[in-house]
Amino acid sequence: MSTAVAAYDPIGIEPAPAPIPGRRNVLLVGSLLACAAGTALLGALLGGYFSARDVARAANQPWPGENLVLPNVALFVTYIGLLLSSFTAQWALAAIKLDDRRQAYLAFASTIGLGLLFVNGMTFCWTRMGLAVGDSPFATHMYAVTVTHALVVIAAIVAWVVVGFRVLGGQFSPRNSEPIAAAIVVWHFVVASGLVIWWCLWFLEGGPG
Amino acid sequence: MAMTETRPAAASAEDAAPAPAAPVEPAGLAGWLTTSDHKRVGRMWIATSLAFLLVGGVLGELLGAERLDSGADLLKDGTFPQIYTLHAEAAVLLFLVPFFIGLATYLVPLQVGSPEIAFPRGSATAYWGYLVSGLLLCASYVADGGITGTTSTAVDLYLLSLILVAGSLAIGALSAVTTVLTMRAPGLTLLRTPMLSWSVLVGGGLLLIQLPVLVARLIGIFLEHHLAGALPDGAYDGIAWFWSQPTVYLAGVFAAGVLLDVVPTLAARPLRFPVAGISVIGLLGILSIGGWVLDPAATDDLLYVGMGLAAVLPALALLGVLGDTARAGSPRLVAPLVLSLGSALLLLAGAAAGAVGVIEPLELAGTTWDAGQQHLVLMGAGGLAAFAALWFWAPKLWGAALSDKAGYLVALLVLGGTVLLAGPDLFNGASEDLPRGAIEFDATDTTKALNGVSAAGGALAALGAIVAIGAVVAAGRRRGTADADPWGGGASFEWTTSSPPPAHNFDETPEVTA
Repeated sequence: MSTAVAAYDPIGIEPAPAPIPGRRNVLLVGSLLACAAGTALLGALLGGYFSARDVARAANQPWPGENLVLPNVALFVTYIGLLLSSFTAQWALAAIKLDDRRQAYLAFASTIGLGLLFVNGMTFCWTRMGLAVGDSPFATHMYAVTVTHALVVIAAIVAWVVVGFRVLGGQFSPRNSEPIAAAIVVWHFVVASGLVIWWCLWFLEGGPG
Repeated sequence: MAMTETRPAAASAEDAAPAPAAPVEPAGLAGWLTTSDHKRVGRMWIATSLAFLLVGGVLGELLGAERLDSGADLLKDGTFPQIYTLHAEAAVLLFLVPFFIGLATYLVPLQVGSPEIAFPRGSATAYWGYLVSGLLLCASYVADGGITGTTSTAVDLYLLSLILVAGSLAIGALSAVTTVLTMRAPGLTLLRTPMLSWSVLVGGGLLLIQLPVLVARLIGIFLEHHLAGALPDGAYDGIAWFWSQPTVYLAGVFAAGVLLDVVPTLAARPLRFPVAGISVIGLLGILSIGGWVLDPAATDDLLYVGMGLAAVLPALALLGVLGDTARAGSPRLVAPLVLSLGSALLLLAGAAAGAVGVIEPLELAGTTWDAGQQHLVLMGAGGLAAFAALWFWAPKLWGAALSDKAGYLVALLVLGGTVLLAGPDLFNGASEDLPRGAIEFDATDTTKALNGVSAAGGALAALGAIVAIGAVVAAGRRRGTADADPWGGGASFEWTTSSPPPAHNFDETPEVTA
């Protein structure tokens, strides 16, 4: 009696199509394009902020506002924390490339944790300022920029959680690390844009220095 | 792993390279609602955008009727400016841009030899976002919204739905651009990539950096309106820049891509200078970067004037490249070619009108000259290119060729209609200083007569759109009757597969070998 091996076909579905040949870093390129769009969005919001500031200053109106005390220490800690997350993000990629899973888990957890700390820090800073949206042109534009950026950070955290679960599932290896590289591109973008916003909104308006 | 008693039958020669099987999709409505197949999604983009074209056309006719005389009062107080803005938004953000994104969603994977689009679920999500937000946008106008609306919540709904429209279009563009960059078949270098895909790369890239600027401006307007209860100064200009100089030439980018694919195929002669074609698309793209005109002082800037004047160059170059190809080949005067020629001529006319419009001493800014120029580029060049694409790629899109006679009729109606619509606006703007979008104006006999001609032109163009949609519907009933390469000599990958293509586009991975 002879036996033969047949394809495993438990529910009768047809086989999946062959992998796409010549597929080159789809996720990475898509992420770069999304970052370009995000740069345009945040850049245009900052443009609107500076335009409103010029109008206010031309009309001799106070900017950012009378008796407004910026929580500079809290802002500094919040944004420095975000900057640190760039290093932990890069650490995640290095760990995957070395196939060191323990370090990869740690790096992912650190990056996501620092991202959550940033969101928490921003909400603390908003509360400390005591400004309501619409109180002044500064408040309106400041919230437009910083809330949009915080939403982008939250989106990046979600992306990192998804990729992190796939790391836990053992999906990536030194030869298959493109999704992590894509997630890192997005993370570096949110960090870089955060630092630009910190400089434009807080440092130029009387921040530490 | 399952074990069987008998040996599987040996594959026959015919079965040696079976077509990759498609994932099973639900049939009927559930299939359409849940699909991520780029061909289905692309067809939905195109069909929905054509429906919105009808909306825009009807609104345009209402505007034309109202402008037959000063203070004609055919529309209720306050309705005219609402219809005016919805007409523009429907024409550009709900028809023209989504149409080309739909065309890209359907055709780019086929042109680059890929079995699917990049981020297929993102592409499908973008379509549903566009459909829902487009309907919400129209609903907000019904509820007295729009940028000139008086019901606060409806205005908020209008702004939010416009943000969602822009976001959806950006995701659709991202999907298509990523496909061009990363999913090309072996041997298909960027220089060998078909011109439509090139225009998607350039135009889609521009959408990715210009739509976020529109979103940012809309966020600013929304916050001021929602919190302060009043719209900021220049709120409409903060939206209308998207279809004004210089951004208006974004339509030219997509039109050039269509024309540079259609004419060489129908002339049975490849482009002699493909780099020239790519340069035309690239130059049109550079000249259509327009978010910076949100600065009120920008229109006095030398850069603004220079970009307006320079736009004539790529339009002329496009005609030159197409003419050279046609002269060297043996063009067949079929409907897509006629529609393409009309599009190229109107792009040149629109670019020329734009160049004159930026000359400050002529004081044409803010007059109906602007409207005439926009109609030439958007409805003339962009609309005719869209119809040329529909006729040219109909065998792939619908599995059946569109009627050639209907194509000639569409070309005649839309070309003639656009000239009649735009010509009087250009004249009224230049000689009568008639303000753009004005309901009350100095109504001389000449102005009234010209406005009548303009309204008739708009009606002809709208009739052309109806004929085009009718031809598509008729073709849908003959599905499956077209050959793989009905034009004979199609050089890009989409013509190597059946019409319409199978689920995974190609039975074998295509490869460029020469």
